[in-house]
Amino acid sequence: MDEKDEAHEPLDLVRLCIDEFVVVKLRGDRELKGRLHAYDSHCNLILGEVEESIYVAEEEDEGEAPRVRTVKKQSEMLFVRGDSVVLIAPSEGVKQ
Amino acid sequence: MSFFGFDTNLPRDRGHSTNAPGFGHHDAFAGLGGGEDGDAIDFEETYDGLGDQLDETDDAFNDDTFGGPTTQQGVGKDFDFAGETSKIAGTIHEEQMLFQARQPPSQQKPSIPYASKPTRSGYENYNNPDYIPQLEARADIWGLKPKQSAAAAKQPEFEAELQPLPQQSAGAPAKKMMSLEEVEAMMRGQPVQEAPTPMIPQALPQSFGQQPVPYPQQVPHGQPQYPGMPGQFAPHILQRPQQPHLQGHPSRQQPIHAELPAQPVQAQQAQHPTILQRQRQQQPAASQPQRQIPQQAQNQRPPSQPRQILQNPNRLSGHGQPMMQQAHPGPRGSFPGHARGPSFPGMVITHPEQLMALSKEEREAYLEEDAKRAKRNHKIFELSKDNGLMTPQDKNFITRIQLQQLMSATGNLDEKSLEAQIAEDFYYQVFSSIRGAPRQNPHQPANQFAQTYLFQTNSRFGPRRHGRGGDNHMQRMEQQVQRAVEAAKAKPKGKQLVIEGSLGKISFSNSKTPRPLLNLKRPETGDKIKQNKSLVADRKDTLRNIEAVYMTLMHLEDHDRTRPPTITEGSQPEAIQAHMEWRTKTEALRKKLWQDIKIMEPINPQSTTPHPFISILSFAKGKKAIQRIFAHIDEQERITVVTMIVVHLDQLPVVSHAVATQDEPLSASMREEVELFLATVIPPLFAHISESPLNIIIGLLGLVLDRTNMHVVARSKVGMSLLTILISRAELLKQSAPKIDSADWEHWTELYNRLFDVVEPVLPVIFPGNVNDTDDMYVWQFLASMGVGASPEQQQRLVLGVKDRVMETVTVSKALPAEMAGARLANVNLFMRAIGLDVELLG
Repeated sequence: MDEKDEAHEPLDLVRLCIDEFVVVKLRGDRELKGRLHAYDSHCNLILGEVEESIYVAEEEDEGEAPRVRTVKKQSEMLFVRGDSVVLIAPSEGVKQ
Repeated sequence: MSFFGFDTNLPRDRGHSTNAPGFGHHDAFAGLGGGEDGDAIDFEETYDGLGDQLDETDDAFNDDTFGGPTTQQGVGKDFDFAGETSKIAGTIHEEQMLFQARQPPSQQKPSIPYASKPTRSGYENYNNPDYIPQLEARADIWGLKPKQSAAAAKQPEFEAELQPLPQQSAGAPAKKMMSLEEVEAMMRGQPVQEAPTPMIPQALPQSFGQQPVPYPQQVPHGQPQYPGMPGQFAPHILQRPQQPHLQGHPSRQQPIHAELPAQPVQAQQAQHPTILQRQRQQQPAASQPQRQIPQQAQNQRPPSQPRQILQNPNRLSGHGQPMMQQAHPGPRGSFPGHARGPSFPGMVITHPEQLMALSKEEREAYLEEDAKRAKRNHKIFELSKDNGLMTPQDKNFITRIQLQQLMSATGNLDEKSLEAQIAEDFYYQVFSSIRGAPRQNPHQPANQFAQTYLFQTNSRFGPRRHGRGGDNHMQRMEQQVQRAVEAAKAKPKGKQLVIEGSLGKISFSNSKTPRPLLNLKRPETGDKIKQNKSLVADRKDTLRNIEAVYMTLMHLEDHDRTRPPTITEGSQPEAIQAHMEWRTKTEALRKKLWQDIKIMEPINPQSTTPHPFISILSFAKGKKAIQRIFAHIDEQERITVVTMIVVHLDQLPVVSHAVATQDEPLSASMREEVELFLATVIPPLFAHISESPLNIIIGLLGLVLDRTNMHVVARSKVGMSLLTILISRAELLKQSAPKIDSADWEHWTELYNRLFDVVEPVLPVIFPGNVNDTDDMYVWQFLASMGVGASPEQQQRLVLGVKDRVMETVTVSKALPAEMAGARLANVNLFMRAIGLDVELLG
């Protein structure tokens, strides 16, 4: 085995997810699920076949917990700016 | 006194407003000119009489103070701003009128006054659909004296603004519509009604004395040319002669005249023709001998004002109007300063009568010229629709960016390394080399683009443009690489620079090599990780393997780009050396690739996890890699890959998980996987198998039969496709060279019979879905390939096995539209014809 098999930096793990479905958590209560086409050192991502979930907390009357409404959007292709990326996880791994 | 709130509907304006609505209504000062009309507010009504209170006792010394007839000769006109402006003040106004006159009569809505437009691009006229622009080069472009013509070329309101010196030095705010001098001049145009200020008596004789009187001689020049409108040239004839004279006599009195409101003569000289008209009526003729001629002329034919203005050649350039001076060569000849004629060969006729007065040839020539001009102007209009959107600064900015990109992308090839260039826009490079390759005809548009940008910068293709551009490109790139490598060797490495004598270090960092903040020592690769790695090929390992494969592939492909020129006997030793090095490295990379695909890992039949190579194929990107891998491995290795896939056929997810039943069709994602496999893995396999000799086919089929679950394989699309490929290849070989090796054929027949026996039980279920599922072509293909090689008895069994499906399909297709029915029946016929039947027989 040569050294390339080893993950030397965190983004090498992201590299393994290229062309795979990933779950990306974003700031602002958003999540993306889509095929990772490309990424860079800033975690800028290009995702394909994306489903975006936006969790909107709806204010209820006092005392009650805010209800969370989920808005879903579909995008064929999406560029995600890295500064909003919180987490990248392989989608398959999560499922299985 | 108030200048505002005037009744702007002067009789003068009303007179022509029906056919020329527009400026007159918005000229706040226009009222000042209408002294003879009762509607107008005259000066007397607004005059507060302050002038009467002036102490005039010492006026006798005014000559000494302001310069009398003698002293004024010595007064320089360096600061004669107002005078200069007043000379063209009439021009300014005429410009307005010209615009007014050009408005089509039908357009009754008053045009927006210029003054209310914050910005002007100069193309406003194009908004008018009927407007036909007429372009004319500005005279000052031709190096002619721009003094008058350039000023006249400007728009009226620009006139007021762009010549700020006269007005501002006179303390007047820049007015959009008229300059202060114009207003003053207009007021001065009513000398009878307004109480003359005490200064008049002094100023008048002076101006008269200095006024050159050249125009009387010129009137005859102008008039014969246009007998129909003799008087209309008078105004500008009146004005023209001043110019050469003024330039020749710098010590004129102009500034003083212009600023003294009671200098009617001077003002009239420079002012609007209408003022002249009025003055004619109101002023004593004796005091203005030189005005006799214009008066007469105008009296002969009460001119319509717009026409008068149109006669003035200076008016026209602002709106791209043709020069009118062509129309009266006499006056023009005497005004070299206005000789802008060359830009406009034809004459301009603004009134039908003029046209009538011309001879037939002239008229024809004129009309022809006019049509030509209209055509050209329309073209220009078409082209200039979006003119003015970008300022010159914008354009410069864009140009600079484009040049920068050009430089970084192509222009500086000699200095930049190939790597940098490829890193810059790799995908473009690839795209262009892919797209560029088949384009061998240099006359194609894309190449024109290339010529424009690439050949001009003398980079890319260099002088050798013929043949395949891509090859030249590659060769050049190779040379570039060599140069770049040398340069890189020569360049000192290191990210820090310590300047001698200084205490600090300078660290270089850029986006590619950021300055390291942490310096961690990389741990040695531990042995323990290696141990069970090849055994437990879990998901992550597979992904790593795939990444490694891609990494090596990219290195290989990158290395391919740097292929040195093919060596010949006459090659330089260095070239041979380079080539050898290149080949050594290629070989190393290929070896590495072979390792990376893990194909040589021992096959462990007991293992619960699939073979690492097969695991790679379970990922989409792994499938996509096969085609690229095939490009870099040799024949023997390809056989290995094919064998590996065939042996593990039933382990492939696209086979084992892709067995569709009537009740449970494939999921969309699995269908996608299967399609991807068929599109990426099967073609290289097919290409390889279709060139393989019989013994390989026999070996592969034997492996399939021995090592795999044939029921799964035969019921999956991938498996069936592979079987079809194998059988049909053997059949082709049999037909092309049937008797080459009888032992092999016996072996093959035996295998075929085995296959047939295995497949026969599943024949009823090899079709995915029900009859209405149209994706069954591959099944018919398989049946056809089976049928071709089958014995008559086997053919019978085949027909029995799929008879129901055949009948169903025929029945179903009867209800289908002709096109779909034809397609489905054609599929069935694939099989039917293979066994010597036809669906027609069933019909």
